[in-house]
Amino acid sequence: MTTNSIEASGGPYAKWQRTVADRYADRSFVARTRSGLDVDPVYSGLDRQGVEAEMPGQYPYTRGIYPIHYQYQPWMDLQIIGFGLPSQTRERMDLLLQEGGSKGYFGREAYNFIFDMPTSMGYDPDFPGVRGSIGDCGISVCKASDYEVLLDGKDLEKTTVSMVLNAGSPGMLGLYLAAAKRRGFAFDKLGGNLTNYIWDFFGHSGGTNFSPKGSYRLIADIAAYCAKHVPLWNTLTISEHNICEAGATNVQAVAYSIAAIIAVNEECVKLGITPDDVVPRFGFHVRYGENFFEEIAKTRALRRVYAKVNRERFGCTKSSALQARIHAQTAGSLLTVQQPLNNLVRNAYGALSAVLSGVNGMTINAYDEALGLPTEEAVTLSLRTSQIIAEETGATHVSDPLGGSYYIEALTDEIERKVFEIIAEIDERGGLVACIESGWVKQQVSAAAYNWRQEVESGARTMVGVNKYVTREPEQFAVFQPDPDAARMAIDDLARHRRERDDARCTAALAELRSAAERVRDGHDIGSVMANLVAAADADATLGEMQTVLHEIFGRNK
Amino acid sequence: MLTQDTAPQPRILLTKSFIDSHDRAIATIALALRDAAMEVVLIDYEQPEDVVNVALQEDVDVIGVSFMSGGQVETTEKIFAELKRRDVTDLPVVVGGTIRPFDVPPLEAAGVKAIFRGGAPLTEVVDSFRTLSRAYRGLAS
Repeated sequence: MTTNSIEASGGPYAKWQRTVADRYADRSFVARTRSGLDVDPVYSGLDRQGVEAEMPGQYPYTRGIYPIHYQYQPWMDLQIIGFGLPSQTRERMDLLLQEGGSKGYFGREAYNFIFDMPTSMGYDPDFPGVRGSIGDCGISVCKASDYEVLLDGKDLEKTTVSMVLNAGSPGMLGLYLAAAKRRGFAFDKLGGNLTNYIWDFFGHSGGTNFSPKGSYRLIADIAAYCAKHVPLWNTLTISEHNICEAGATNVQAVAYSIAAIIAVNEECVKLGITPDDVVPRFGFHVRYGENFFEEIAKTRALRRVYAKVNRERFGCTKSSALQARIHAQTAGSLLTVQQPLNNLVRNAYGALSAVLSGVNGMTINAYDEALGLPTEEAVTLSLRTSQIIAEETGATHVSDPLGGSYYIEALTDEIERKVFEIIAEIDERGGLVACIESGWVKQQVSAAAYNWRQEVESGARTMVGVNKYVTREPEQFAVFQPDPDAARMAIDDLARHRRERDDARCTAALAELRSAAERVRDGHDIGSVMANLVAAADADATLGEMQTVLHEIFGRNK
Repeated sequence: MLTQDTAPQPRILLTKSFIDSHDRAIATIALALRDAAMEVVLIDYEQPEDVVNVALQEDVDVIGVSFMSGGQVETTEKIFAELKRRDVTDLPVVVGGTIRPFDVPPLEAAGVKAIFRGGAPLTEVVDSFRTLSRAYRGLAS
């Protein structure tokens, strides 16, 4: 079957054909259905205005950022991993690898680390009041040598490390880079991702973070440093997912995500950084699983609005600065304690909508996450869900398979329109930082969350097993229990580390970090905070010690 | 005939650790209690002992502690130890959020009056706070 609708020689379809022919000269991406019918990798047609529709890989990238996507390379499965001590997480990593997970692009291994809450917020295990959370719900990491355990024997040039954390992000990248340096790896070969959620939880999801202004300054510093020294590193993930999880609607979450990009770009411009130099390493974390078609439309709208804003508002010209790369995650807050196996089904639908949206990476939650930290069985089932969609369903044969659907196209346009309305409102209110500082964003999100909850209460919104089709029988499920001894071991190991290190060298490095932070706060030497975090981590400073300096100079949110 | 209840409205402390994340549930509970005409103090705490300090300063009738990612048992036990030290052992404490099966026995042993997990109906949560508050003040529920 050949697409033969509209073929102006200079039109989108003809351009797409030429791009694919140039890029994939000797390959065919024609797939075959169960009935033996050939299907093209993408279909063209007229858009709702009656002109030839945009094709995938073309500005403004509504239909996807690649001309050929899953047909050439499937999404990256990044199951969240991390609990206890680095040595304990390493055991789980080895299991996942053995099960066919941890597959990155181009033959790399990929790991998506999550840290315990003290680490995530930048506190050491011996900080008063954090003990009960050590190693619970994430790995405890506070020094460069922890990465030597976690990634022992791994070729870091062939390992993609994604770090999911909040205010601890800048110091965490310092620890990783210091460990890589000690093992002799060149920074320009290192690939990975730092979520850098140092501000988005502020106003959305609780916890101790940097002040909004300080956050944006630090984001610019890290982006500028990495653009120069660690060019393959993704320095910022805008978490649309977390904004949704806090209770925002899909439209609000996309709008606030774009507003965050605007705020970062404005900060970069103010500091003399050219957006084209740093924006290509920004990306998104988007949530799926609540409203099937709206989430496909929101993804298409997000890509389109991102491209337009970066080009029209910030003058970006590099295609990589216009293409929104998206890591999908299924919705954690929709997982239920009641009848937890239902969550397997919820996750599968969420993951399918992400695939039909053309996302680049995927985290499928474990079905037992509402009960506690996932069991190994549940983690494996999440991976199998992704593998079934990728390799059994045929959903990957055609890019943007819902493009051209009256419903999806109308919804995409409508979401785009509403997102631009909210962005205009934020502009009128003085920009996102002002809206966070005034509490406006928090208030908008909490109100949406409360409305949602009231719909569940009234029965207007069905949650199977919670407010409908409720069963009475108690259900017993195995729940993963983290090692209660992890806290003691982490604290002991930190005490040993402090005893054995060269204190004079460490103290001097922290003093250097402080003066760099002061210069960056004042708008000079952007990139030098990150450089000095690497140096301090290499001098055996801990995450918490570095964080103390950063909090003091860049301010806390509370 | 209805008689007007002139008793003061319940005063509730809702709190979550300064290092915990995802505060959607506690923010929602705060709004639900507010809509039920209760007075709510919503704060982050750094040390478990601070929770008791704020509870006494604000003269609340119930403490509600929310957990997402750790500290369920350790923090709650420390709050109860501080209540004992300050001689206010009758001040009721409830917990909510991600409470795992293995957390339940030690939480109950510590003395929590109620445990609310995901999906608990808001009406049930609100009623529970009201009942505990009235009992603490010696009012008929």
